[in-house]
Amino acid sequence: MNPHCPRNEHISRRALMKGALATAAGATVMNWGGLTSTPAFAAEVAKKQKHCIMLWMNGGASQFETFDMKVGRPTGGIFREIDTDLPGYKVCELMPEIAKRIHKLAVIRSMRTSQIDHPGGIYLMHAGYAEAANVRFPEIGAIVAKYAGDPNSDLPNFVKISAPSYTGAGFLGPKYQPFGLDQNGRLPTFSVSGMNPADEQRRHELRSFIEESYARDHQAEPTRMHQQAYEQARRLQNVRSVFDVESEWQKYKEKYGDSAIGRKCLTARCLVEAGIAFVEAGHDNYDTHADNFTGHKARVPVMEKAWAALLDDLEERGLLQDTLVIWTGEIGRTPSINNRSGRDHYVRSWSTALAGAGVKGGLVYGESDRDGHDVKDNPVTEGDFFATIYKALGIDPTIENYAGIRPIPLAPFGSKVVEDLLA
Amino acid sequence: MLEKLLRPVSSFAAAVVVCGMLAGTAHAETPLREVIDAEVAKVWKEKGINPSAPAPDAEFLRRVYLDLLGTTPSYQETAAFLDDAAPDKRAKLIDKLLDDPRFAEHQTREWDMVLFGRNPPGYDSGSREGFIRFLREQFAKNAPYDQIVKTILLAEGDTSNQGAPMFLMQYQRNPEDAAVAVTKIFMGVQLECARCHDHPFEDYTQVDFYGMAAFFARLQRVEAGTNGKEKMLALGEKSTGDVLFTGPAIDATPGKKGEPIAPKFLKGEPLAEPELPQDFKEPPNIPGGKMPEKPQFSRKDAFAEWVARPDNPWFAREAANRIFGQFLGKGVVHPVDNLSDVNPPSHPALLDALEKEFVAHRFDIKWYVRELLNSKTYQLSSAGSATEAFPLYYERAKYRPLSAEELAASWRVATGYDEALAKSGKKPENADDFAPLTRGYMLSFFGKPGDGEGNFQGGMHEHLYLNNGELARLFANSGDGTLLHYLSKSEDPIEKKVERLFLQMLSRPPSEEEAKFFVAYLSETEPSGQRQQNAIWTLMTCSEFRFNH
Repeated sequence: MNPHCPRNEHISRRALMKGALATAAGATVMNWGGLTSTPAFAAEVAKKQKHCIMLWMNGGASQFETFDMKVGRPTGGIFREIDTDLPGYKVCELMPEIAKRIHKLAVIRSMRTSQIDHPGGIYLMHAGYAEAANVRFPEIGAIVAKYAGDPNSDLPNFVKISAPSYTGAGFLGPKYQPFGLDQNGRLPTFSVSGMNPADEQRRHELRSFIEESYARDHQAEPTRMHQQAYEQARRLQNVRSVFDVESEWQKYKEKYGDSAIGRKCLTARCLVEAGIAFVEAGHDNYDTHADNFTGHKARVPVMEKAWAALLDDLEERGLLQDTLVIWTGEIGRTPSINNRSGRDHYVRSWSTALAGAGVKGGLVYGESDRDGHDVKDNPVTEGDFFATIYKALGIDPTIENYAGIRPIPLAPFGSKVVEDLLA
Repeated sequence: MLEKLLRPVSSFAAAVVVCGMLAGTAHAETPLREVIDAEVAKVWKEKGINPSAPAPDAEFLRRVYLDLLGTTPSYQETAAFLDDAAPDKRAKLIDKLLDDPRFAEHQTREWDMVLFGRNPPGYDSGSREGFIRFLREQFAKNAPYDQIVKTILLAEGDTSNQGAPMFLMQYQRNPEDAAVAVTKIFMGVQLECARCHDHPFEDYTQVDFYGMAAFFARLQRVEAGTNGKEKMLALGEKSTGDVLFTGPAIDATPGKKGEPIAPKFLKGEPLAEPELPQDFKEPPNIPGGKMPEKPQFSRKDAFAEWVARPDNPWFAREAANRIFGQFLGKGVVHPVDNLSDVNPPSHPALLDALEKEFVAHRFDIKWYVRELLNSKTYQLSSAGSATEAFPLYYERAKYRPLSAEELAASWRVATGYDEALAKSGKKPENADDFAPLTRGYMLSFFGKPGDGEGNFQGGMHEHLYLNNGELARLFANSGDGTLLHYLSKSEDPIEKKVERLFLQMLSRPPSEEEAKFFVAYLSETEPSGQRQQNAIWTLMTCSEFRFNH
C-alpha cells in the first residue's frame, strides 16, 4: 500500500455531495466539529462514565511473538506456545500472565491496515484515518475526551504518558488536545508555579480583567479558545495531586512489576479512577528489524505483567466493566525472518486485543493463514477497529463532525462495527 | 452516478468563472485596492452583511508591523505614528515598512515555512543558511515572484554560494514527492490522490501524476566541496532514468515492473526531448568533489521554464491567491494550496482581478502587497461579532496567531529587552530568533505548523509555559532601557507610566477603565516587587497580544 494517499478524499459520495454543494454555495466555516454533534449527546455518553486506556506498543509488536503463534512453520520463530485459560488457544510463552486472562480479552488476529511505516501507521492507528493534506483528523483520545469526558472537570480528559502524537485534537479544537506526562508519569515541564500564591492570585485577577474587557467587543473564536486553555492550565493547579501516584506505586509496584511500563499502567489506573476519560500509555520500542526475538524477550514479559495487573486491578475496583483497555501498536511484523534475525513492517495480517467495557472476554476473533501471510477470515480494517471501539464505549461511530465544510464520521465511512466482539 | 450528481455543481462553477472574467475586464483602470474593496462590498450587499468599522490607527499600526516585519512596533514608533496628523500617514507607513530591511527578513521566514516547513524531509535541508540568504536577497531587491520561483526550480550553482538548489535537494531521488510539492506550492494543485489511482473527483489521472514526476526523475545530490563551514551541495541531473508506472496501487503485486513514463506538462503537451546519441552510456552516479556537468538535455530546466509561463493556468492564480491569503488571513480560495473546482473561490471576480493585475505588474511583490494593505478591506477593525478566525466574506479583520519567531521578537520589543541590550552595547548570548528564550521550548509550544490552514491550535501547554516558564528571562535585565526599569525608576506620574505600558506592549493607549484599574494595581505598596512585572506579564500573555488582528 502506498502511504501517501490522503484517505480523507476517500469519503462517502454523500459526504462529497454535501461538501461540493456547500462550497458552491460559498460556505467555508471552521466550526471545530459542531453541528450534528450536540452537547446533549456528549453529556448523555458522559453520564455512563466510560473510560478508555490504550496501551501503545510503539514500533509495532510482533503478532508471532504474542497472539498468533506459527510454531513449526518457517515463519514461526524460536518461542514455544503455552496453553491459556481458553481451551485450545495457545499464546507465546513470553506471556504467562496474559495467558491466564484470555477470558477477559477479545483478541483480534485478523487486523489488516493500510499504513506500513511508523509515522503513517501511528497517525492511522490513533485517528482511524490516514494522514491527509487538508484535514487534521482527531485522535481517538480527543474523540473519547469529547464524547465521554466530563466537560466540567478540572482534569484534562485526554492524557498521554510518553506516547507518540502526530495529530492530537485535530479539527476538534484545542480543548481536546492531549495532556502529556513524561515516561515516569510526571507532569509536563512548567506545570508547577514557583510564585507566591497571593501574588499569583493578584496577577490572575489583573489578567482576567484585561481578558474580559477585551472579550466585550472582540468575539473571535481563537481568543475564546486561548482564554479557555488558560483557565484549563489554571484549574490544573487544583488537581495536581491526582498526578502524584508515588504512594500508590509503592503499594502496587510488586503487582505491576517494578518497571517503567508497570508504573505507566498504574498511573493510567489512578487517572481513570480520578475520572479522566482517556489515558494512553506507550511502551518502546518494538521495531525489531534486527534481533526480533531478543527484543521481544526483553519487552513482552514486563509489559504483559503490567497489563495483566492493570486488568486485575481495574476489575477488583469495579472499573473494568466501564473501562475499555486497548492493546495495539501502529503495525505488525513480517512473517519472514530477515538475515539479522529481525522482522520488518507488516500490515496485511496482524494482531490487537481489547478488554473491558463493552467487549466480550474469552474471544479470539479472526484467523491468519498457515504461515501468517494473510488474513484467512474476518479481516478487520483500521476503520472497523475504531468503529468497534467507539461502539463499545457507547459512542456512535457514524457521528459526523465538520472539518470546514466536509462532514467526517468518527470512524471512516464504510467501516463496520465488529458486533461479534461486543458484549 | 457520481458524475451525474456532480454535473450541476461543475456548470455552476463554470458560469461563475465566465461572469468573473467579464467583471475583471471592467476594472482595467481602477487601482487594485479599490477593486478589492468594491468586490468585497458587493458581496456584503448581496448577503446583507454589516462589516466591522475601519480599524483605529493603533490597531492598523500593530497589524501592519506584524504582517510586514514580523514584530510589534517599538514605543517610539507607536508614539510617532499616533501623533502624526498627516492624512496619508497609513500609506506612508506601508511604504516605509516595505523598504525596511526587516521586511525581507520576515518574508524570508514566511516563505521558508512554505517551502520547507519546520521539519523538512532531509538531505541536509535542515541547515539551509545559503537558501535563507538567497531568499532574503530576492525580497530585498524585490525580485519578481516568477523569477524567484524559476531560480529555485532551475536550482543552479550550489547550496552555499547560490542557495537556490536546496529546495529541490529535499526531493532528490523522490520524484513523486517533488511532483506533489511543486504542484501544491506553485500551482495550488493537489495531485496526491493521483499517485495511487486516478483522482476520484478531479480530472487528473495517474499517468498525469507520473508525467509530472518524470521531470524530477533524474536529480541527484552531489557534494561539490565546502565553503567555510557550509557544505556545497549541487543538484546534478543525469541524462537517463525514468519513473516507472505500475498501475493502480490496488492492483500492485510484488515484483511487477512498471512502464517508464515520459514527462508531460499537467493537462498540457508531452515534453519534446531530443534523442540521446546512439550507444549513450553514463555511470550510475554523478561523481562528487566538483560541480556536476549539465545533462544532454535537462528535464528540470524544461519544467522551470514552463512553470511560470502564461500557458500554465495555475501559476499566477496560485501566487496571487496565496499572497492575498497571507495578508488578509484567508485566500479567496481557501486553503490556498487547493485551487480545485470542488473548492471554488468565495469572490470569483476578485480572484480574477488579483491574478490579472499581479501578472500585468510583472509579479511585483511589493507593488502587490502595497495594494492589498492600502485597501479598506485590510484596514477593517478586528472588533465585531463575527466569531470565525478568518471571516468568509472579509467582514472583519483576521485573527492569526503570532508565530514563535514573531512572539519572541514582539516580547523583546514590548519588554524593552532589545533596547536595554542596545544601550549596554551587549549582544544576546544565543543570538538566534528566540534569544533570550530557549529555541526548543519556543518551537514546541508555539512553533507547530498549525493545521495547514492557519487555524489556532494552542492548548493548555502553552499557558503552562507562559504562566510558569521562562518568560522571566526577559526581565532578568532590569537595567536602563527596559520597561521594568522605566516603571520602577522613572519620576513620571503613575498615569503616564500606565499609558506607556499599554503603548509599548499593545501599541495602543489604555481605555479609561483600564488606566484606572492599572493605576490602582501599580499603586498598591505591598507586596511591591512583583507588581510591575505582573503588569507586564499580563499584557505579554493576553489574547490581544497572542494574535495578529
